[in-house]
Formats: sequence, C-alpha cells, structure tokens
Amino acid sequence: MEEVPLLKELYAKYLDQGVAVVGISLDDELKPLQEMVANKGMSWPQIHDADQSLVKLFNVRGTPTYYLLDREGKIVAKDIPMKKLGGAIDELLKK
Amino acid sequence: MRRRTLDRLFGSAGSLLGLALFLTLAALTANAQNPSAPDKEMDRVQELISQSKKDAEQFSKAGGKPGDANNPNLKWAADLWQYREKHPASPATVAATVEALRLLNRADRLSELQAKTDTLKPDDAAWKQVFYVLMSAASKSKDYSYLISKAEVLAQASSDREIKAQARFNIGDAYWRTKDNDRARKAFQTVVTAYPGTEYAEAAEGNLREIEFLNLGQPAPEFARKTISGDPISLAGFKGKVVVLKFWGTY
Repeated sequence: MEEVPLLKELYAKYLDQGVAVVGISLDDELKPLQEMVANKGMSWPQIHDADQSLVKLFNVRGTPTYYLLDREGKIVAKDIPMKKLGGAIDELLKK
Repeated sequence: MRRRTLDRLFGSAGSLLGLALFLTLAALTANAQNPSAPDKEMDRVQELISQSKKDAEQFSKAGGKPGDANNPNLKWAADLWQYREKHPASPATVAATVEALRLLNRADRLSELQAKTDTLKPDDAAWKQVFYVLMSAASKSKDYSYLISKAEVLAQASSDREIKAQARFNIGDAYWRTKDNDRARKAFQTVVTAYPGTEYAEAAEGNLREIEFLNLGQPAPEFARKTISGDPISLAGFKGKVVVLKFWGTY
C-alpha cells in the first residue's frame, strides 16, 4: 500500500511515453477496492480478479507482484521490486 | 481464498499480522474460559519474543550489525531454545523453537541454526514454520544445499503427509531458485502426484506452469476482462506499449 504514491508518480511520468499500468486486485470484495482507487486517485485501469483466474494465469504468489512486458507483450521482468521498475522501463523505452 | 493459501505458503507480512491477531484472540478466548497453565506458557513465550524484538530494535538503532558478538538475538535464541528443552510438550514449544531459529538466522549464525535444526525429529510440529526459516537462510547465503538435504531426509522419514509434501515442495523451490529447472520440475511433479489435495500440490502446479510458460522473453499469456469501471480490457489492446501489471490488494 505504501507503494501507491510511487506508482502514481511512475504512472504520471510515463503516461505520455507509451507505458500502460494495469492494477489487478486480489481483493475478495469489490467495495474496498473501489473506495481505495477513488480515495487515492489511482487513475490507471483496475481489474478485480475475484475468481483468481489471473493470479493463476501468472502464478502470483504474493502481493504486490509486478510483471513488466515489452512493446511486443513479452515478459521482461517478474517479481521486480517497485524501486527498480522505473529503471527497467527506461531501458525498454530506449529500444 | 486462494490468497490465503498463498500467504500460508509464503508468509507475507499480512499473514503474519493475521497470525498474530489470531494468536491473540485465541489466547484471549482460551483465557476467558480456562485460565490454566497452557495459556500462561503461551504468554511466557510471547513475552520472551516481544522482549527480544525490543532488544533487536534498539541494537539495530545503535548501529549494531547482525554478525556482532553482542547481538542480543543470540541471548534470546538461547533462552527460547532452553525453554524448548525444558518444556518439550508445552503448547508454546513450537513458537519458542521457531523464534529461536529465526533469531539465529537474523544474526547470521547459520551453522548454529543448522546444528539446532538437526536436533528436530522428523515429526516435530515446528517443521512447518522451520522450513520458512531455512529457506530464508538459504536465499540469504545463496546456498541451498543444507535445506535440500534436510528436506530430502524429511520427505522420506516424516510420517506426517503435510510435512512430506512441504519438504518435497521446498526441494523443488530450492532447485528452481538455483535455476536447476529439471530437478525443480521433477520435485514439483512429485508433489502434484503424491500429495493431491494439499496446498502444496496446488502451488506446485502453479510453479510448473510458470517454469513452462512464464519465463523472461516468453509472450505473456493473453487475457481479456472488464475493468471495475466496466470497460473491456485485454493484453492485446496494449500492443506497442510497455505494460506494467501490478497484482495487489487493499488489505
């Protein structure tokens, strides 16, 4: 949760550079998710993975977990810590 | 539901908090009904553990390093282990055992951690949590050999199906972390076939899929869903963009 401000910063920084952010929530209930998204002003799209199908598809073992995909949709990083995400995105944008 | 399974396996901060709450509630409930010895034992060990946490905080604030000879973790680990030896059948023995080993791990005393772990019998109730400590120690030192050899012994010698499944799962995990995917796959497959219905079998299946389909450089699996605002969203829709997927929860 303490990563939300960092992700907001990152989202704003790369918004116009062809970088998309998608939140996939593991919450059981939709309401707390909707409330937090509104309260914290998280403006990237959110999926409520209520049936855990995306969790299974990506074998997510804990939260938060980040996947970074390149422009062709290939996996560039998984389980990457938030603080390394910006650098990894910069690398991809150089290509 | 799945998240809880994941947390049980991987011990996130959330689940630790949950466990602490549960233990507190359990202790309170039990105390209300029956203020007898078992709860006093639990309280006694919890007291040792909270004292050790305070000391560790102070020590680290004062600039102490894990390996220092005066690391208070060593004294508390000795006290907790002594509790284990004096009270082998107390309901608090598992907590004392696991915490003693955890403190040794945090103080980077790996050989002492291993020597103490060696004294645990294959059916010791502490194993379930001891595996986490061993995995943490192994990943810190990048040396998984002790964990693997210990888990091999348990996978054979324990009579507890859960411990056997967990041992085999840990072998797979250790090999996977050292990038020995063939051995990892073999161990995970054994968990799936030999221990169906356990949380480890489910997790092993996920790991087998990941070893197969979710490697760096492979195309991410396609999906199409709706956002919480009701808009359609699919990975294909992001072609040409760099994409960050963040799996998270409000909890």
